Amino acid sequence: MTIEPETLMAYADGALDPIAAKRVERAIAEDPRLGEDVARHRALAARLRGGLAPAATVPDAIARRLADAGKVTPLRRPERAPMRRWARNWAGGGAVAASLLVGAMVGQMLPRDTGAIALDDGRAVVRGDIARALDTQLASTQPADAPVRVGLTFRDAGGALCRTFERQAVAGIACAARDGWGVARLYGGAAQERSEFRQAASAQAAMMADVDAMAKGDPMDAAAERKALAELRSDRD
Amino acid sequence: MPGSSSFTDELLTLIPRLRRFAHALARDGADADDLLQASVERALVRQDQWQPGTRLDSWMYRIMRNLWIDTARATRRRSETFVPPDAGEEVGAMGEQEASVELHHVMRAMQTLPAEQREAVALVVVEGFAYKEAAEILDVPIGTLTSRLVRGREALMTRLGEAA
Repeated sequence: MTIEPETLMAYADGALDPIAAKRVERAIAEDPRLGEDVARHRALAARLRGGLAPAATVPDAIARRLADAGKVTPLRRPERAPMRRWARNWAGGGAVAASLLVGAMVGQMLPRDTGAIALDDGRAVVRGDIARALDTQLASTQPADAPVRVGLTFRDAGGALCRTFERQAVAGIACAARDGWGVARLYGGAAQERSEFRQAASAQAAMMADVDAMAKGDPMDAAAERKALAELRSDRD
Repeated sequence: MPGSSSFTDELLTLIPRLRRFAHALARDGADADDLLQASVERALVRQDQWQPGTRLDSWMYRIMRNLWIDTARATRRRSETFVPPDAGEEVGAMGEQEASVELHHVMRAMQTLPAEQREAVALVVVEGFAYKEAAEILDVPIGTLTSRLVRGREALMTRLGEAA
């Protein structure tokens, strides 16, 4: 009886049905070399698995890279570190969905009909009505039906002035650069037509978590916000 | 519970396995971690394309494998001009030294396989997918998978020595 190498390998892997396995076992009983081949297959498998076992981890460096970089989310932060009090209040105390965001995919996440966010030399920047709102609109005095709503104003670890904004199903965090507002985070996107409500809610939770991570100190109050915007305008003039 | 939350939770639990698969495929640890990161990013962007109720692990392995093929194609041209340092001289940077050296040996041995044998071995032998599942991830007939698997394993036995 001849046993194909494929069949012998499948036997070694426990991938044969009982009848086929029985046939291989009878062949092994007749020819011990087949048994040795099975043992070699199993030894190799054990060695490969053992050798690669140290790779089956989530190293800190990777977790950090996933969390920072403006690319992907703080996957675990919402469960681990409760948000600061201000953020909980602002978000209405709702459960925080694990947030996720991919800054690199800015283009895909935008509604097609807006020119509000553009790529400038590979960097996403805010344009149009969102940029105007970020330049001028105070969170404390904006009308309830403002097309662009500004949420929080804060300074990031590098001291840049950053503000959160929302317009329809798109929300984001923009930070002031020399010549305008760079997009630090953007939320919204593909899910919005299916479930705009849920998307908006989870985007807000994600945004709060990210503000919490980015902000150095608490967000500004109305007076500080007014002062920061005035300084920004005089810097740019 | 919102879908996105269970998606990311489930994805997170897969990361150790995905990282091991990346190490089985990639040239070195740094490439493997780049591959891991790129795969997670792509999965997050495309999470709407995943159908809840289907296996997230198979979907993720497919994403990683496709990315790996793309980058392998791009780096092959570079590696034709630059000979990589003899890895036997290098000691890997992670964890216990012995474990790290063995990881390195295994990665080196995997590297000697043609791509399609390497991914077959990685999915079945290392990751423990059934032949049928691995064939589906790779989108090949099961007979193709088993013949790649046999050839890849025979080459590895020679390479790593029978004593294992």
